[in-house]
Amino acid sequence: MRDARVALAGGLALTAIAVAIVLSHSPQILVGTNAIEPSTRLTSVPGGGSACQADETLPAGTSAIRLSLGASAGPRVAVTVLSGKTVITHGEGAPGWIGYVVTIPVKPLDHAVHHATVCFAFTGANERVSFLGVPTPTRSAATSGAGVLPGRIAIEYTRPGSSSWWSLALSVARRMGLGRAWAGTWIVLLVATLMATSIALASWLTIREPQ
Amino acid sequence: MRVVQQRRERDVSWDRVILKLRSVPSRLRSVPMATWLCALVACLSATSWSLITPAFQVPDEQAHFAYVEQLARTGHLPSSSIEEYASDEVLALEDLEVGRVSLQPQHHTIASRSEQRKLQHDLANVVATSLSSSGAAGVAASQPPLYYALEAIPYDLGAGGGVLDQLALMRLVSALMAGVTSLFVFLFLRETLPATPRAWTIGGLGVAFMPALGFISGAVNPESMLCAVSAAIFYCFARAFRRVLTPRLAIMIGALTAVGFLTKLNFLGLVPGIVLGLVLLAKRASQTLGSRTAFRALASALVIAAGPVYVYMFINLLSHHRALGLAGSVLAVLVSHHSIFGELSYIWQLYLPRLPGMHIDFADISPIRDLWFKGLVGEYGFQDTVFPRWVDSVALIPAVGIVALSAREVCVHRSALRRRVVEFGVYFTMAVGLMTLIGATSYLSFPSEAAGFPEPRYLLPLISLFGAVLALATRGAGRRWGTAAGALIVVLFVAHDLVSQLQAIARYYG
Repeated sequence: MRDARVALAGGLALTAIAVAIVLSHSPQILVGTNAIEPSTRLTSVPGGGSACQADETLPAGTSAIRLSLGASAGPRVAVTVLSGKTVITHGEGAPGWIGYVVTIPVKPLDHAVHHATVCFAFTGANERVSFLGVPTPTRSAATSGAGVLPGRIAIEYTRPGSSSWWSLALSVARRMGLGRAWAGTWIVLLVATLMATSIALASWLTIREPQ
Repeated sequence: MRVVQQRRERDVSWDRVILKLRSVPSRLRSVPMATWLCALVACLSATSWSLITPAFQVPDEQAHFAYVEQLARTGHLPSSSIEEYASDEVLALEDLEVGRVSLQPQHHTIASRSEQRKLQHDLANVVATSLSSSGAAGVAASQPPLYYALEAIPYDLGAGGGVLDQLALMRLVSALMAGVTSLFVFLFLRETLPATPRAWTIGGLGVAFMPALGFISGAVNPESMLCAVSAAIFYCFARAFRRVLTPRLAIMIGALTAVGFLTKLNFLGLVPGIVLGLVLLAKRASQTLGSRTAFRALASALVIAAGPVYVYMFINLLSHHRALGLAGSVLAVLVSHHSIFGELSYIWQLYLPRLPGMHIDFADISPIRDLWFKGLVGEYGFQDTVFPRWVDSVALIPAVGIVALSAREVCVHRSALRRRVVEFGVYFTMAVGLMTLIGATSYLSFPSEAAGFPEPRYLLPLISLFGAVLALATRGAGRRWGTAAGALIVVLFVAHDLVSQLQAIARYYG
């Protein structure tokens, strides 16, 4: 039984340390968008497709690009940002994503880039991928291998913030208290109590002699 | 004389019933305390999830809520599957910006007190005015009514407070289902691995802390009840295989199957395995109880199990609807789609590596890794709350460890396994039936959606088998390391649950 106690104590301590380390990191924050709402499904392309969108502004520090694409088992997405013909940054996202947005980590930018062209290409052919954005005139629309698309795609740029999760804890707790039946920050304390009780019960059950 | 005799017989049968009822508390006392505590842990975890997940940010929760609303207000089942809900629900969805937040992880829930005030004001006003019920329940409309009828109780209790109060109370009922699931998984393990009490606790706790169970049981979703019913059926089968299929146990399996039919259509996937199990058990019981008793038990189980289906068809036919109602249209689509070979190939590739000659249905993803494993590691909300990719790779290490320890235990005790091959064959048939149903449903939207339906939550009715893998891993570590391995498995699931909850908090409130 001593082994179980040591394993349990060590495991829980490691978990606590890991959580503390994760919370000392900063969340990704939005540093810029192209002001396009992902309100319309512009078109869909088969796997293996690609597209480019010009006149994008990438803020300094951008380390991830969020593309408004829709899929149920999205393909691998490779993003390349060009200024003229020079590659400014690039990155690749894993396949299997779902929903209306895919975030691609890219090599962080040390300065802002104006009038850049964001190109992305899909590998694999699981299903068609939808492009979400707003209709625009042809001259400002995105382009794909098949020609000009009917509009521009919503794109956002993110980088790690400067505040850790620890320093954001209070604002997160306040937000958790909203939008529910019994509103209030006390919800966070209730959640913490429920989980602490369940962990205490589980620990006791694990180290006691079974009957 | 005859009247006196009949009265005496009636008295004797009443005495029997009363005696049985009196024995219930002592029977409950014979259940180990660890069973109840595992159930409590599962309830607490699911309740925590119910508080963390924002209202209506669970797949189809809007539709399930609408179904309950329709049933509670009118007493009638939904008549349409369009997504046109009652005005109070629509207001809540709008004020909570549900459409903007779901599937777009860059958007968080409402953040200001003014938004909260608007929400409360709007909901208070809509409560005061007349509420219309559209008769529509979206994708939930074709589902059977039992879970929704049960949820109508908390719905009515919270009626004075409005949609959000009702939803919170309804989620608590689902959280109770997580407790029932964990309880029956524990009891299932007690029957299948009777020599290792520690393994029951480890398996029960592993299931109790499983975030996929907590997440879905912290929401309004019939999946929570389906898990509980399935776990109870697995327990009954384990008990019958270990002892004998008594008439009472057969009736219990039949009744649970009827409850399953009335809970969710996905239950159909388990039915071939249940029927096979009953037939094999009856055949075996005929050697000890006599063929007459055994086959009477089988017949009563099958009649009770099929009862709700006949009643449902009868009511539909009486009211000049299709025999299987809205469920019938779903089933008709399910069996009339595409080529059978294409469908079989798709279902195979959804769970197993593609064989030579099969059409490539998943070009750039491995469904085992990218859909099932990734989903079990962590996919919450509308599958839009996920861990970074590296977490899936790290999670492979303990997963492989657990599978290896279980495989070792199976190898070491393969002779015992061979003796129980019929029992495991029944569980296998239940698993294959459910997986085939999920695959066939997913194939309906293929190829426009490669994986429109395969979500790990649909596999949760097989959670007893998952608990068995954990229990086997504890045994597989051997006597020297078994207790430590068990403790580590519990810690692993505690950590998994905690970080999953933090991930959901970061996604919605960060």
